[in-house]
Amino acid sequence: MAVAAKPLPHAHTHATEGPDPRESLMFDPRPRSLMNAWAMEAMHETSWKFWAVAAFLALIVLVFLVGAWAWMIMEGLGLAGVNRPAFWGVFLVNTVFWIGISHAGTFISAILRVLKVEFRRPFTRAAELMTAFGLIQAGFSILMHMGRVWLSYWLLPYPNQRQLWPNFHSPLTWDFLAITTYLLSSLMYLYLPLIPDLAMARDRSSGWRKRLYRILALGFRGTEGEWEHLRKAMTIFAFAIIPVMFSVHTIVSWDFAMATRPGWSSTIFGPYFVIGALHSGMAAVVVVLFFVRRMKHMKYFVRPEHFDALGKLMLVISMAWAYFFFNDYIVQWYGGDKWTRMLLEYHENGPLGWMWMLMLICNVAVPWLLLWNRRVRRTPWLMAIIGILINVGMWLERYVIVPISLTINRMPFTWRQYVPGIEIPLGIGTLALFILLYMLASRLIPLVPIWEVQEGQMVHSLERVGKTYVPVVKELE
Amino acid sequence: MSEKTFLALFSDVNPAAEAIAQLREMGMKDEQMQVISGIPFTAPILGRPHPRTNVPRMAMGGALVGFLLAMFFAIGTPNLYPVYVGGQPLIPVPPSVIATFELTMLGMLLATFLGVFLDSRFPSYRPMEYVPAISDGKIGVLFRCTEEESSRWMDALQKLGAESVSPVEAVQL
Amino acid sequence: MEKTLTIPEYKADWAEGENGKWGMVIDMDLCTGCQACVAACAMENNISFVGEEDAGYGRTMHWIRIERFWEGTYPEIRMTPYQPILCQQCGHAPCEPVCPVFASVHSQAEQINLQVYNRCVGTRYCANNCPYQVRVFNWRDWPRPAPLENQLNPSVTVRRKGIMEKCTFCIQRIRQAEDVAKSEGREIRDGEVVPACAQACPADAIVFGRLDDPGSRVSQLANSPRGKKLLEELGTLPQVTYLLGG
Repeated sequence: MAVAAKPLPHAHTHATEGPDPRESLMFDPRPRSLMNAWAMEAMHETSWKFWAVAAFLALIVLVFLVGAWAWMIMEGLGLAGVNRPAFWGVFLVNTVFWIGISHAGTFISAILRVLKVEFRRPFTRAAELMTAFGLIQAGFSILMHMGRVWLSYWLLPYPNQRQLWPNFHSPLTWDFLAITTYLLSSLMYLYLPLIPDLAMARDRSSGWRKRLYRILALGFRGTEGEWEHLRKAMTIFAFAIIPVMFSVHTIVSWDFAMATRPGWSSTIFGPYFVIGALHSGMAAVVVVLFFVRRMKHMKYFVRPEHFDALGKLMLVISMAWAYFFFNDYIVQWYGGDKWTRMLLEYHENGPLGWMWMLMLICNVAVPWLLLWNRRVRRTPWLMAIIGILINVGMWLERYVIVPISLTINRMPFTWRQYVPGIEIPLGIGTLALFILLYMLASRLIPLVPIWEVQEGQMVHSLERVGKTYVPVVKELE
Repeated sequence: MSEKTFLALFSDVNPAAEAIAQLREMGMKDEQMQVISGIPFTAPILGRPHPRTNVPRMAMGGALVGFLLAMFFAIGTPNLYPVYVGGQPLIPVPPSVIATFELTMLGMLLATFLGVFLDSRFPSYRPMEYVPAISDGKIGVLFRCTEEESSRWMDALQKLGAESVSPVEAVQL
Repeated sequence: MEKTLTIPEYKADWAEGENGKWGMVIDMDLCTGCQACVAACAMENNISFVGEEDAGYGRTMHWIRIERFWEGTYPEIRMTPYQPILCQQCGHAPCEPVCPVFASVHSQAEQINLQVYNRCVGTRYCANNCPYQVRVFNWRDWPRPAPLENQLNPSVTVRRKGIMEKCTFCIQRIRQAEDVAKSEGREIRDGEVVPACAQACPADAIVFGRLDDPGSRVSQLANSPRGKKLLEELGTLPQVTYLLGG
């Protein structure tokens, strides 16, 4: 069925109102062979600056992640800032943060696909890569926080000589199941639409690249059967991974909500955390896309219209986040017990009250003040800054929820502030690893799903309705 | 009578679909033809029989396996080695729901993925009929026939707008 | 009274106020805050000495701690009663269901909460969930300079870094008394099991025994009108009763 978007002025007059349709990727088709060549060039084209940055990041990973973690395993968690009562600190903040970032990939490649939102086409893979790499950092962060990480395999349900099984009453076990499910599903969902692009890369490569792509492309030719199986699978994945995505961050929130701590035992944590994940994730996608655009030829694929559309989504999600935050806050403020009210007082007016205020500024004020403006939304570098600010705000939100809330409990004799120790370099190490993995991936796999872009361009056209031309999207499924 | 494989390349879907319909009218059987393309076209668009796929059945099967595994974890393991915690019942219902949901979804998605591999016979690294122009967006119609018949089909296809019609060998992809 | 060793299936079956097996009464009116119990507990249970810096940062390894509060400002200060806090061995322990590896479980026989040291992987969820904040974690391997290792109690494991620990009601002493009574073919007598803290207390403020024996000193004291349970509204069913207000 044809879907008419807002009417545009006549295509060959100078457009005084509304954008030139050719500004939009879907209405600016190029030959597939040219787009393929661009994608390949973007992978091959590299400079010494790129490798200098990659080497620097690798050094940071070696020292801050590998080295610091090895030291901490030898010395014990005393090197970190955790104590009584803040038994969980920045490690958990980072874990929740990285899982949150990973949700954006699924949102874009699954929810937007199911809702047939066409502007998703050029960046689904870039977002899915964020999911995969973000989950790896989350996995590292959660392993770091364990007292005896070399025994972490005890969380796996496997038959053993002691006849012991993990405790399925525990939210941490649900966490393990959910994150494993989500990681495997995301990797599979990243790989399936990648196969046709790997076949394209195989056809256009030589040497070690050709060997690599030939193996990974599995012999894909594009026969009717292959496309049918692939599309059926992608449909099942798109629909099924959405409830998985919701369940994962809900279960992560239940690590806190199941506890009897004031401020944690809140029934709204499930949806609150899911929206928070989308908030930080979409902001991170915008930051990533800003850098992707700097790759060769990528300005053709990722355009201001995409930042515009993502910006609108970010504004709506920010409002939803504010709704859930206020819900949680006012219930505790109005009818909470004395410990909860003391906790709220500590959040706002305690020594770390600036974090709470900065969180609200970054998560609510910045999007609400800036994302209304169309010119702001269509400026990639400005959107990238907004994206970074939102991510800072969301990291602070998790900091407020984990170590700051743990400081206040029902036994005032134990109240003590948390000061992060080795968690800071370890967190920086995970960020460096995330960026490094992304940079290496940009050399190895085509970041844009060309076949999906061509598919989209094929179904978009301008049709005359009345006195003007309107965009029309054909549905070929 | 040796049969060879021929490939007709089209750059647009409309002439390709016309050509397929024409070939069928001229007597070629559906099983003799195969269409390869750089973007997916559904069977109705190409005028071809709908390809059968087992992927949804595999997905259901996988979901069942995941569900049974979850039942074992949630109900079986506490019975194998009962440990009481927190005054909760040995087999608590709400946590069992969570484990069941996750493992069912995992089973379903793993089986879907496996289904693609099995149905498409991935990975297949033996030589197959293919030209790189397909991944550049062309639509290819592969058909098998004898040398004598081939000229008839090739002429028809040229008239219908094929960019090229030529014999194609199985190549290492 | 006859009690089976299995916990009833549903929380609702555990009526509030029902007694488990071993319990404790602490008389806050008698406590002088001398911390002899803290020292005795550390000696009995091989607790590490964490040093000034870690202790100042909230990493003390006190299985029992004396909480001291005051009201007013100097020089008009009024002391509140000293509050010895130790593991309440809850009937509905919040620390138990959250451990992913079953390192914190409920003992069917003694009706107390067990910490299984060699199973703990150090996720510390149990400590977060304890409303009394009585669980302590081994943040490091604290050194035991010679000749302190001679003081170690052979009946108690020495814990390494990465492991959670807490008051066990001196389960080694309970088990020993049970063994002796079994070999002599009798029940445990009231007052036979004395945990380290009760043994050391000069004011006799800590009383320990079987709450399900109506004749025992502890169960009579627990029913005293001065008796209160800590954070009772949370429904944790603690086995420790505090006497206050006489």
